[in-house]
Amino acid sequence: MIPAKYNVRNLRVRWVTTLMTVVSTGLVVWATVLTFGLVEGLEHALRISGEPLDLIVLRKGTTEETSSSIEQNVAKEISNLEGIATDATGQPLCSSEFVTILTKPRRGDGGTTNLIVRGLQEMGRAMRPSFKIVRGRDVKPGVNEVITSERMAERFQNLALGEKLEINKVLFEVVGYFEAAGSSAESEVWTDLRDLTGARRTPEALSCVNLRCRDEAAKSTLLKRLREDEQFKLDAIDEPAYFERQMNAAVAIKYAGIAIALFLTMGAMFAAANTMYAAVASRGREIGALRAIGFSRRSILFSFLLESVMLCLLGGALGCLGTLPLNGFSTGTANWATFSEITFAFRFGPTVLMQGVLMAVAMGLVGGLFPALRAVRMPIIQALRET
Amino acid sequence: MGRKTLADINSGNGEPLISIRDVCKEFRRDAITIPVLQGINLEVAPGGYLALMGPSGSGKSTLLNLVAGLDRPTSGTVTVCGQSLERSSESQLAKWRSQHVGFIFQLYNLIPVLTAFENVELPLTLTSLSRRERREHVEAALQVVGLNDRSHHYPRQLSGGQEQRVSIARAIATDPTLIVADEPTGDLDAKSAAEILDLMERLNRDFHKTIIMVTHDPDAAARAHQTLHLQKGVLVEKTHE
Repeated sequence: MIPAKYNVRNLRVRWVTTLMTVVSTGLVVWATVLTFGLVEGLEHALRISGEPLDLIVLRKGTTEETSSSIEQNVAKEISNLEGIATDATGQPLCSSEFVTILTKPRRGDGGTTNLIVRGLQEMGRAMRPSFKIVRGRDVKPGVNEVITSERMAERFQNLALGEKLEINKVLFEVVGYFEAAGSSAESEVWTDLRDLTGARRTPEALSCVNLRCRDEAAKSTLLKRLREDEQFKLDAIDEPAYFERQMNAAVAIKYAGIAIALFLTMGAMFAAANTMYAAVASRGREIGALRAIGFSRRSILFSFLLESVMLCLLGGALGCLGTLPLNGFSTGTANWATFSEITFAFRFGPTVLMQGVLMAVAMGLVGGLFPALRAVRMPIIQALRET
Repeated sequence: MGRKTLADINSGNGEPLISIRDVCKEFRRDAITIPVLQGINLEVAPGGYLALMGPSGSGKSTLLNLVAGLDRPTSGTVTVCGQSLERSSESQLAKWRSQHVGFIFQLYNLIPVLTAFENVELPLTLTSLSRRERREHVEAALQVVGLNDRSHHYPRQLSGGQEQRVSIARAIATDPTLIVADEPTGDLDAKSAAEILDLMERLNRDFHKTIIMVTHDPDAAARAHQTLHLQKGVLVEKTHE
C-alpha cells in the first residue's frame, strides 16, 4: 500500500484547492447535520414527553387535549378507578387539566402564534418528566400566576419573569421558569387549574385527565375500561403514542432535510471529484513511477480514494464542529396536531454527528471514485510521459 | 521473496538473464498500425551492462519497456530473470517488477512530497521487511550514492544530480537483479552526468547489477560493456567493448 503520508502531504501542498473543497464539503455537512440536529431535537422533545405508563383521557371522538371536554364528576370517578398508581402519601397519580390556546405575539418579528396555556394542580406538575423550577418560584393558587420555560420566555412577548400575560382580559404574572427534561411541556405556560378556568369563565371545564397506571397489566385494564365504558363516553390514549402522532412535523422536516442534503451532497461530490481530477492530472508521472516500481492498480485506486475521503472527512469534521456551538440552542416549529408552537433545542448527539461523518465519507468515496479510476486506467508508459 | 537471485543465475547453466526472441511490437493509432520493433533477438548475460542507442522513434525506449515488464510484445517472447513477461498478467508484472527491476528515469520521477529517505523506502513498502529492516536498506542505498546527509531533504531541495542519485538509491533499495535506465543523464550537466555514470558503473562492477541503459550520449554508451543500435525498430549494429 502507498503510505498515507503521501496523500496527507499532497493535500497540504495543494492547500488552496484542499481548503476550498474542505470548506464546500464542510458547509454541506454543516447544513445537513443542522437539519438532522433539528429533527433529533424535535423528536427528542416529543419522545420524552410520553411516560410509558401514562394515559391521557379525552372525550370520545376527540384526538387532542385542546378540543376535548370532560365533566368534573367524570374526572373524579376516573381518579377513583382501580389500577392507578399512587404517590408516597397514597394520592392517586391523576391530574385533571384544562388546556386552552391563546394567540400571542412573538418577540422580535412581531408576528403572532398560538400558545398553549395549561391549568393544572400540583399533582399534574409532579407527573411531568423531571419537572423543576429553575428560576423564580412555582405558582400559588388563587392569585393568577403563571410559570413557563426560559425558551418560551425568549420566544414570546410578556412571558419573561415579572411580566404579565393577559388571558381573557385577566392579567397573570410570570413568577417562575421551569424545566421538564426538554419535553414538549416546556412549550407551554402553566397556571393553577381554577385560576385558568376562572379567567376563561368556564369554572367547571376540564379538557383531559392524565393518569399514571400502576403497571402494564393495569394499563391494559384501564385502557379497555375507559374506552368501552358507555357511562364515561371517553377515549384513553397511551401517552407515548399520543406524542408520537405529533411527530408529523419532525417527519416533514426530516424528509425535506434529506432531500436538500442529497442535492447539496451531489454538489459537494462534484467539488471533490473536480479536486481529485486535478490531482490525478497533475500527478501523471508520479502515478506512472509508482506503478513502474510495482504498486498495483488496486494500490493506486485505494490511495486516491483515501485522499478523496481524507479531503471530505476534513470538511465533515469542520461541518460537525461548526454545529456544536448550536447544540442546545432553542428554536420552535408549528405543531400541526395542536396548531400551536412547540419549542425545542437542537441536539447534536453521537448519532447525528456520525451521520454527518458518514455522509462526508460517502462524498469522498463517490467523488473520488472516477478520478481514481482514471488514475488506474492510465497506461504506465503514457503516465510516465506526462509533463 | 522466492525470486531467483543473481547468484542462482550465475551458478546455473549459463542461462541469459534477458532473452528476447523474434519480438515485434506494434502500436495502433485509430485504424493505422505502426510497427515499432521488428524481429528483435537479444540475450544479455547476468552482470551485463548494455547501452541502447538510436535516433528518436527508433524503438529503444519501447525495447527497454518490454525488458522492464512495463509493456508486452505484439509477438515473440521476452524472458527476464526466468519469467516469461509476454504471458504475465498486469498484476503479475507489477509484483515481478517490484522484486526484480530497479528504474532510473531521465526526469528522476521522485515523489515531490516525500523526502529522499521516504522516496528510497517506497519500493521497500512492497516487501515484508520490518520498519527497522527497511531503514537499514534505505541507509545502505543512500550510503552507496553518497547522500546519507541529505536523507531528510525533499526533492525540491536537491540539485538535479542529487535527485538522480536518490532515484538510483530507490532503484537499488530492494537489491534488484536488473536496473533499467532511460536516458539517466539526459537532464544533467556534464559534471553530474559523469558522477551518475560513475555510480552506475560501480553498481555493475561492485554490486553485479545487470544494467540496460537507453542513451543518446556516446560517452554514456561507452561506459557499457555492449552497445546496440536500433534504427526503425531493427537492431542494425552491435558494438562490443
